This record gives sequence, C-alpha cells and structure tokens, in this order.
Amino acid sequence: MPPAAGQEAPPGGNVGLMSLIRALSKELEARSDESLRALFAARPDLISPGVPDFPALAARASARVSVQRALERLNRPQMQVLETLHLCTNTDTGHSASAAVLKKAIAGSTVAAIEQLLQSLHDLALVQRAEPPHGAGPGAQRQRFYLPVSSLKDVVGIYPAGLGRSYTELVRLQPAFAQRVVQLVAELRRSGAAVQAATTPMDAALALQHWTSSPEGLQALLAGAPERTTALLARFSNWAMGAVPQAQRKASVTTEGHDVGPVDWLLARGLLVPLDAAHVELPHSVGISLRGGAIINNFSLTPPAPMLGVTTAALRRNAALGAIAETLRLTGELLHAVRDQPLATLRSGGVGIREMRRLAEALRVDHHTTAVLLELCALAGLIRLDVDSSCWVQPPQLEWLGLPRQEQWLWLVNAWLASERAPSLVGQPMNGQPVGPANHRPAPAATVNALSAEAQRSDAPVIRKRILEILRELTLEAKVPDGAAPVLNAEAVLLRAEWSQPRMARRFSSLISGVLAEAELLGLIGSGALSQLGAAIAADAPDDAMDLLGEHLPAALNHVLLQADLTAVAPGYLAPDLAEQLQQMADAEGQGPATTYRFSAESIRRALDSGQDAAAILDFLRRYSATAVPQPLQYLVEDTAARHGKLRVGAAASFIQSDDEAALSELCREAAASSLGLVRIAPTVLVSMASPRQTALVLRGLGLSPAVEEAGSAVVRLNRTAPLPGTGRPVYSAPRTALPDADVAAQLAILRSRAEHGTSPNGSRPAAAGAEEATQLGLETLHKAIRLRQKVVMNVVDSLGNAKLETVVPVSVAGGRVRVFDPAKDTERVLSIHRIIDIEAAEEMQQ
Amino acid sequence: MNDGPLIVQSDKTILLEVDHEQATEARHAIAAFAELERAPEHMHSYRLTPLGLWNARAAGLDAEKVLDTLLTYSRFPVPHSLLIDVEETMSRYGRLRLEKDPQHGLVMRTSDYPVLEEVSRAKKIQPLLGPRIDAETVVVHSSQRGQLKQLLLKIGWPAEDLAGYVDGTPHPIMLDESGWTLRPYQRLATENFWAGGSGVVVLPCGAGKTLVGAAAMATSSTTTLILVTNTVAARQWKDELLRRTSLTEEEIGEYSGAVKEVRPVTIATYQVLTTKRGGLYPHLELVDGHDWGLIIYDEVHLLPAPIFRMTADLQARRRLGLTATLVREDGREGEVFSLIGPKRYDAPWKDIEAQGYIAPADCVEVRVDLPKDERVAYAMAEDADKYRLCATSETKTVVAEQLVAHHRGEQVLVIGQYIDQLDELGERLDAPVIKGETSVKVRQKLFDAFRAGEVQTLVVSKVANFSIDLPEASVAIQVSGSFGSRQEEAQRLGRLLRPKQDGRAARFYSLVARDTLDQDFAAKRQRFLAEQGYAYRIMDAKDVESC
Repeated sequence: MPPAAGQEAPPGGNVGLMSLIRALSKELEARSDESLRALFAARPDLISPGVPDFPALAARASARVSVQRALERLNRPQMQVLETLHLCTNTDTGHSASAAVLKKAIAGSTVAAIEQLLQSLHDLALVQRAEPPHGAGPGAQRQRFYLPVSSLKDVVGIYPAGLGRSYTELVRLQPAFAQRVVQLVAELRRSGAAVQAATTPMDAALALQHWTSSPEGLQALLAGAPERTTALLARFSNWAMGAVPQAQRKASVTTEGHDVGPVDWLLARGLLVPLDAAHVELPHSVGISLRGGAIINNFSLTPPAPMLGVTTAALRRNAALGAIAETLRLTGELLHAVRDQPLATLRSGGVGIREMRRLAEALRVDHHTTAVLLELCALAGLIRLDVDSSCWVQPPQLEWLGLPRQEQWLWLVNAWLASERAPSLVGQPMNGQPVGPANHRPAPAATVNALSAEAQRSDAPVIRKRILEILRELTLEAKVPDGAAPVLNAEAVLLRAEWSQPRMARRFSSLISGVLAEAELLGLIGSGALSQLGAAIAADAPDDAMDLLGEHLPAALNHVLLQADLTAVAPGYLAPDLAEQLQQMADAEGQGPATTYRFSAESIRRALDSGQDAAAILDFLRRYSATAVPQPLQYLVEDTAARHGKLRVGAAASFIQSDDEAALSELCREAAASSLGLVRIAPTVLVSMASPRQTALVLRGLGLSPAVEEAGSAVVRLNRTAPLPGTGRPVYSAPRTALPDADVAAQLAILRSRAEHGTSPNGSRPAAAGAEEATQLGLETLHKAIRLRQKVVMNVVDSLGNAKLETVVPVSVAGGRVRVFDPAKDTERVLSIHRIIDIEAAEEMQQ
Repeated sequence: MNDGPLIVQSDKTILLEVDHEQATEARHAIAAFAELERAPEHMHSYRLTPLGLWNARAAGLDAEKVLDTLLTYSRFPVPHSLLIDVEETMSRYGRLRLEKDPQHGLVMRTSDYPVLEEVSRAKKIQPLLGPRIDAETVVVHSSQRGQLKQLLLKIGWPAEDLAGYVDGTPHPIMLDESGWTLRPYQRLATENFWAGGSGVVVLPCGAGKTLVGAAAMATSSTTTLILVTNTVAARQWKDELLRRTSLTEEEIGEYSGAVKEVRPVTIATYQVLTTKRGGLYPHLELVDGHDWGLIIYDEVHLLPAPIFRMTADLQARRRLGLTATLVREDGREGEVFSLIGPKRYDAPWKDIEAQGYIAPADCVEVRVDLPKDERVAYAMAEDADKYRLCATSETKTVVAEQLVAHHRGEQVLVIGQYIDQLDELGERLDAPVIKGETSVKVRQKLFDAFRAGEVQTLVVSKVANFSIDLPEASVAIQVSGSFGSRQEEAQRLGRLLRPKQDGRAARFYSLVARDTLDQDFAAKRQRFLAEQGYAYRIMDAKDVESC
C-alpha cells in the first residue's frame, strides 16, 4: 500500500489524523544517523533481517512482537511513564499528553524527570511526538505532547499499570455485572450512600465511577469496612485481578450482617466486580483512589537497595575455590562412570531414576547434585547421546580431560553461559502439571528427568547473563568494609530485576535460584557473594578469570602416600593419568580434595585382568609413592598375582598357527600386517584382531599362502567406525545484544539511499519492499476501525480471483478472519484476511 | 595458597598429614572437636560428628573458633557446605539447659521457645517431663535426667547440663607417688576428666588406665564404686590401688560372685551386678543405694545393657569410663558417650608408643595353607561350621609349635577361641591352659607363675582378653578368634604392650588359614589396629622356620 502522493505530512505533524506508522516513518527518516544507530543498538530486531526503507522500518518498530521485546528492556520508571501515557492518551482520536499531564498522574515525580523518560522512550521509537489535544490551553504550544506507539495497547495487556478496567467497560463486557449493577446502585442508595440514581446499567456504572473517584471519599467509606479489608485490598495494589472463591456469591448491602466478611462487603458495594466464578476485578476508579488519586504511587528513579548480608572475602574465596575443585573432581568422576557404563535413556527421553541412582552412588553425592553435574557435562559436550544405542557416552579422545584445570573450568563456564538448558529444573515438578481437587489424593508428581527436553529453556542464556550483570551491579553498589563482600540472594536479584526489567522479571523468578545454585557450583558465587571469578565472567573477561584461577589452583600432584592399612592417600589433586591408573588397581574412597585409594584383592585382580602383572604394579607404586611400599601391600599384590590368571581369556577374531617360529616373528614385524593387530600368545601362535578372511587376504598379499580353517563360524562383527565429530571447546559469546557495526552501517546506507530514491521524481518503490509495512498499516487501520466503529474500504478477492472494492464496518478480527458488517446489505459476514489486498479507512479516502 | 597440614573433605573427614611441620599444632587444635578415626603412618583421619561438635561446645569452644581452626590449618579450600553445617550443628547445643531450680528441683529451660515446644511434643520425651512452669521452663523428673539427655541428643537438641553433680560421701584418698610419678598424659587425662565432670578416657592397653582411675579418685576424694569385667581384674585393681594410693586393705571391698563386701572403695564386677533373679537385679541396689561420689567403668566398651539402663539413672554422679578400644561391634559407642559422658582424652597408640610408655609391637600375620583333606572338608561344610573348621586347622597347631620353639626363653601367650584347639595345643606345647571353667584361684595362681617366669608358655581362651596384666609377656600367638571382632584383636595385642624391662619389642602373631573365611575375618579384625598405625607383616607358614 504505497502512500498516495500528496498525503505527505510534515514530520511531527498531526498524527491524530494520520497513520501513526506513517508518521513514525517520517520521524525516523528525519533522525540523525547517530540517533538511528542508538535505536538499532537498543532494538536490534528492527534491522535483523534488514529493512528496505523507512516505512518498512517504522512498520516493524510498530509491530507487536518488536514492541514486546522493546518493553522487556525498559526499567520500572520508563515502564511506568509509558503505561501512564497509555492510560492518559488515545491513539485513535489522537488525544495526546505532555509531561505536565503525566506528572499529575505519577505521584512523586517531576516534569523534568518525566520529560527525560519520555525522551528516552521517544529515542526507542516507543512514543511519538504529537499535536496537543483539542482544547488544550494556550500554554500547550510550549510543551511537547506525545502518543504511544499504536500496538502498545495489545502489548501492555488489559491491566496497564496494574489498574483494572473502568466500570463502564466492565458493564459493557460483563453481562452478569450489567444485570446486577442497577440494583446494586439502588441498594446502595437505600443504605444511605451518596450515589446518584441510575436506571440503565451505563448510568449506574457512571454513578459508581463518580462515587469512587475521590480518594478521600473512598477512605471515608473504607473506614467503616470490616477489619482485614485494607489487607485484602493491598493484594490488588499491583494487579487488578484476584482469585476469590465463589466470586459470584450473593452479596448485598441490605442483607449483610455485622460480621460480614471483607470480600462480601466489597462485592456488595461494587468495589470489587466479579468476573467469573473464581475471579474478581478492582475497577479502575477504585484502584486510582486507593493509590491516592494517582496512576503511579511508587515512582522512583533509583532502584531499591536490597538489605544484604556480609561475608568475608576470605570465606568467599575459600568457598568459590572449594566449589570449583569439587565440581571439576566430580565431573571427572562422572565421566569415568559414564565411560565404564554408558547411561541408558528412557523411551520418553531423559535419563531415568535408576540410572541416576547408579550415578549418584558412583559419585557419592545426592541425586540433585548428580543431575546438575550430568546436565553440565552434557551441555559442555563432555558426554553425548549415541544415536545407535540411545545411550549417553563419553566421546573418544575427549580434549577436556587433558586440559589444565583452569581451562577445564572455563570450558564448563562458557558452555553453561551459552546453554539453553536449565540444569536446576531437573527433579522439579513438570510444568503445567494438572492440580487435582483438594479432596483427591495427589498423584505422584511427575518430575523433570535429567537430560530430557523439559529442562530446555531457550531464554536461559539471556537470563543467566542478566543475573550475572545484576549480581555485579549489586556488588559494586553495596557499601561494605574492606575485606568483606555482600551476600546476594535470590530475593535481592529478583528485586533488582523487577526494577530494571519489570516485564522480564516473571521469567527470571522461576530460574533465579537455580542459576544462583549453578553459579555457586561453578565458583562464580562463593559464600553467597559474587566471587572475583564471577565478577570477571560477568564483565565478559573470561581470560582474566582463568588467569586468576590458575594462580589459586594448586598444581597437580604426582605422588601418593602408601600406608600399611592398604591405602594410598593422594594429598590433593592428582594428575589425571596417575589417578586413572590408580583407580584401576584400587577403589577410590572419600569425598573432597584428597582421595583415598583402598587396595584389596579384588582391586588388584582388576588391574591384573587389565593386563598388568605384579612387577608392573609394584613398579608403578614405587615410582609414584612418596614413601616406601609397605610390606602388607607388596604381599597383597604378589599373593594375588601368584594366584591370578591360571586361565587367560582374551579377544581375537582369528589365529595364525605355524610351526615355523621364525616366520611368525617375521610376520609380527611386518609393517603391512600391522593392520591385523597381531599379538603373539605362544611361540607358534599369533592372534589377529581381523577376521579370518581379512587376515588370509593380508597374508596372501605378503606372499604367504595361509590355509583358512573354517571351524565353526568365526563371527565377523561389523563395527560402525565412522569418525565421530570432534567435540569442540565451547566458545561463549554473550547473548547478542547489539549488532556488529558493519551491519548497522550497511543498513543505514540502504535506508538513506532509499530515502533519496523515494523523493526522486518517479517515486516508485518495488512492491515487495512494502509488503511488511503494508500488512502493518492494513492491520493498524483495521484495528482502529474496529475500535472506532468506522467504515473501511477493502479490496477483496473472491473465490474466482476477482478483486472487488467493498465498504464495510469491521467488527472483530481473530484467527486470520475478520467479521464485518456490510451496511449496504445490512448483514454480517466473515472474510479471510488473506483475501484482503488492501484496506483504507473510508474517511481517509474521502479526504 | 595455604600450606597447612590438614585436608578437609566434604564427607566431613579431616586428613592430617603427620609428617608436616605444623602437624602437632594442628592435631591439638582439632582434637577438641573432631574425633580421631584412623591413625595409619602418614595420614591420620579425623571425623566431624555432631556429638564431637557438641562436646566442643560443652567444653567452651564456639563455632567461630572451630571454623577458624579449619580455615587456618587447611591446605585446600574448605567445603563451604561443611562450614555451614558445623555452624548450624554447634548452634543447636545449649538451646536447652538442664538446671537446678530452688523451687522446682530439676528443670529444663530454653531461650528458644519453639525448640522446647518441639521436644516436649516428641513422643518419647513427653513422659519424662513434668508440669510446665512457664513458656520457657519445664520440670524434669530427676530420675530421668540421663534418659532425657540421651533422647534429646538423639533428636538433635542436646541439652547443656548445668545441674551439677552430687558430692558423694567424702573419703580421703591420696596418690602415693613414691618411686613413680603420674605420666604427663595420665595427668592430662585426669585433668580433662575432672574439668568436664564426666566422660570417657581412651588410652591404649598397657598405658596405665588404672592410674588415671586412681588419680581421679584422689582428686575426688569420695567413696568410689569401680565396675570391672571379672574377678581377676577386680583383684588387679585392688592390688594396684593398694600399691599406688593411700588406701588400705580395709578400705577396699570386693563385690563379686565370691565375696560381697561394701567398703568406701568397692570394686564390683559387671557380671554380679547383672545377675538376674526372679526378673530382678538384686545387686543393682549396690549402685544406687549408696552415696558414691565417683563411679569408674573399666573397659567401658563392654558395658552390658542393664548397666546402660542403670547408668541412665545415675546422671547426678560423676562417671569415668576407661577403655582402650572404643569400638563396639553392636555400634553403641554413641550411647556410651551420651550416658557416661563425652570422650575427654584420646591418644593414638603410636603416640604413646613413641613416648616410650608402651612397648613397640611387631604384628605378623602368618598365612597357613589348609592341607588337602581339610580343604575338602571346608569346601563341603555347612556355612555355620566353616569358620570353626578353618580356624582350628591342624596346620595352625604345627605352626604354633614352631613359633613357640622359635621364641624359647620368652614369655609366650597362645590365645584361641576354641577349647578343643586350646586343649590340644596345651598338650602339644606342654603348657597349662586357662579357660572359662578354670577357677579364679587356679587362674590367679597360673598368672602369678607366668608373671614370675615359672611358666613360660600359657595357653588362654578369651577369658584373658581383657584387663589381665601380664607385664613380661612379649609374644602372643593368636590361633583363632571370635569372628571379626576388632576390639578383641586390639585387646589381645594389648596384653603385650606393657613396656618390657629390656625395652624389647613385643611380637604378635596371628595365624590365618589362607583362602578361607578366616582370612576375611582376620582382615576385619586387624582394621582397628591397622587404623592405629600397626602394620601387619604378612608371612607364609613355610617361612616361619627361617624367620
């Protein structure tokens, strides 16, 4: 729908009469490059994907989804000003408002502060400059007037600023209330209330509105209310709707007794309006009066400062480093356990309780910690789902295992920051779990399984990043003495989140405590305070964090202490390969920085089974022991070895037997035969890892002529040996909040060049370029027409493909269909939106 | 990074590196709140238990001090959850206090009203409490003081007992330190005990626990009841007290199966006190019918159940428990602590050995192979008979003979579980046998002869496990034992630990049949000693002749 020639209005013209989107387009075009850059930085979705020209940009800026995202970034005062502006203006009639107007509705504010906030919203293209409303005083010319972006009403919802709807609207939308309201007013009058008489529901609504509109009057009225009424009303202070059992009960001023309850009392006076069987609403005028006549009564430009406890820096460091060492150790043990026996998955996805129990036992920690660690391993790519066996396995040649500990840590932290999974949700009750009636025995609540799809949260990276930022802010703001650190808890973070991003806070609330617990596990938080490492990570300086950690983590030990009670104690973190070997010949015990390895006949047998002999074991122990090998241990090894391996079992796919020992020796050394994996198990016997056929093939290639004995069927296993994709080290980049400069520059160039073309003589634009904007404009027109009950002219295609202009009054739009009233035929019809080519307000056409 | 001697584990154990330069300092610091669990040669391990932490609180140590100690001496970061746990656990102590009220007698007071509500609603505690005086005070039946304390401990709200002790009937007792002095650790143990009021002193066998008892009696200077395991031990106590204190023959009474004397200092056996006649314990009256100022429990780890119950009623009297091995196979160590009192002194055996107060010991496990016919019999035997079969193997007798021959000229004890086996050994070695049916008189005569060196080899059953003082025994050969009892093994070794006059090391042989249940039980039996740092050398039977 290209703008018709001659319809151009000057920027900042009377948007009341003109499409807000078009006005925005002009306004954006008139902005400086710098201002546009700032806009794109704050709302990157505006130019991703790129837009062809300013009208399209304006259309996108007005689109519901984009406005919704923009609102998520606003802080509380901005949001309050925007909501107040929304309540004080009407985009359909062009009734605008200025800072001075808003000041009256926002208690505790100043015009300058509001002007500044409005300017910031204007920069974000969420409000637009507008003409003063009709009948504005002479001083109005000196003030700036504003209107919010048109789709705001869809985004803020039905309770802007937490205030309910007006009595008139409730009467219009709640038939049950409309039926009752006249009688209610009559009863109130009979009981002596100063309400105007009314005969129609609308009059009654107006009477109630008038009756409740004065804060002093309402206070006087409430003075006679039963106790607990004030407490009950306080629960409606942030949100106009509340749940009340039997909301549609019969409550009347005439029949109520002395012991009337607060809900009955309020319902009988229409101060609460029932919506359905279980919900009531606090009407707009009552809400405003309760707030002392203002829309906003808790305005503050500075965020609330939470009460924080204090811990010492030494404790914080101790806790953070302890947690890191422990997490890395447990991660290593978990990988070891998974390597020994892969984790089976359930058919419904995720890892079942039985496998979790096994893992928890192996790690000697509780289930929840196990689940979080398992999730951490999975999201860091340390274990992966093997599609053939549906088991979680450790990928071969895992790079992580060989890294220094600080790098292992950073790997985990990066993966965690970037992950769209929320590990702490594991074990929580499933979302949307139906809550049975109270008298039913609750069914055992299904909980989220580890590694299942239910723990997926696509907004997790953004929330995590934001939480870390908030932690950093709070830590920097807190005034604590030297050597101390503020203790931050979930409430403090939520309080700040509610101030800095009120629209996001609800999403935060379910994840905050989980994220904090995970951060504690990773040492970003220690003893409740943001650790130095956490601060570095929050400030996007991972290398600093790693260096810092490197200084504090002790180097890996290369020795153990052997004791006569058949234990080896590793007094600290043991080099991984040494630990691996020890684990083969002894059982690890204990939980913490030092591990005790207990030798027993079984464990020694295990080492012998893996192909070591007594001499090798003792040699290994001697090499890595800081002390002499105690006699009982030596005896144990030798005694076990002496009685081990009377029969030996090994794996081989084929064997080669020859009486010519020299020939076999030669074959062993032959490079071409190395692929067979030949092992000599006796002077005259070699075993091969390859099948008889393949072995024979290779031998023939070497000029030997083997005879293949087909005794029985040598099972040939086909192994899938496709190389597995290497698990890359996770590289974390903060969730994208800004676009690269180059993209922005390119976008600006396109916009500016289009703008020049647009003003060129031919003035034509490619039709496709306007599609997005046309849709937005069309919908804007349609919505406006519905609200104002105006006629529109639609170009509609019928089923045969013929286009036809129709003048109708749209009634509602939903689910891709528009219900319209055709005044010419006096009937209602339903049209599919996709059949509408374009749509114009009838008045606009007439201009 | 700190380079301390401690490693604090998240499973609440603390490892102490013995060779570290700060080790002694750290050991003293943590001994106040952590319990020594194992003491092998390089790394001792301590455990933090609620009981230990509460005892520390009782001794006036607060959580901050404990955390500070851990953080100061720890080599690595201390698990934060453990720090929180310590703080929380310690804060539970003392919210309830048992006090004497001039008007109401024994009362339980609290500064934390909900706690009192919680405990007074506990099913088992309710009947022990009397009427409520006010929101924060409740009357306690004074006879239930012990049981109440025990139950409160069990539900995690230990009470601080400020009600004090009865004085008992005064009776002057003095140590007669002529020609000997109390060793430093004995003095420390006595002081710790006295400062704490009641409690248990753990000292290795042969380290002079009797003297700790005597010193406690001297400090108390009141009438004293001493409970011991058997009559022989009772006589030993009497002799020792006569020699080391100002007490005379007339002042010391024996209350046993044979004699029933009640004197200012009375030594009674557990057995006579727990004799039941017609559903009653007629001799228990001895305990509560007299105004004892001090009750000493010798070998407190053997305390039988009726004495447990009786002790619960004796909370107003000072109690001293003595033991070398506070391990009970029935796992009731906790009850010993809550009824007698917390551990007031505990020293690793090797420490006392290093100071030269007990003889060093060389433990050897000799592995014997069952001959073929016995192996077959063992393989085919019922489970119930298996242990007896392997423990009483014929080859053990042969090896025992060889060992006795090897140690000719030394005082040798041969210890076993099965009477048949012992009788046979006695015959083959031409040595007297002491077993259950041997009368006290004969026993004493034989022990005296052994002490005097007239008898060089003695074959004994488990009657000689405890309390028998045989200073010159330097070799013990254990041919069989009661299954996997850790404390039996330790007590048997304990028979050898009196320092020898020529400073010789003691030798303890344990004969074990290879590849049988015997070997499994032996491993279990040795655990206590292994944890105390006694390393068993293992030897094959065929090497015995050449050793």
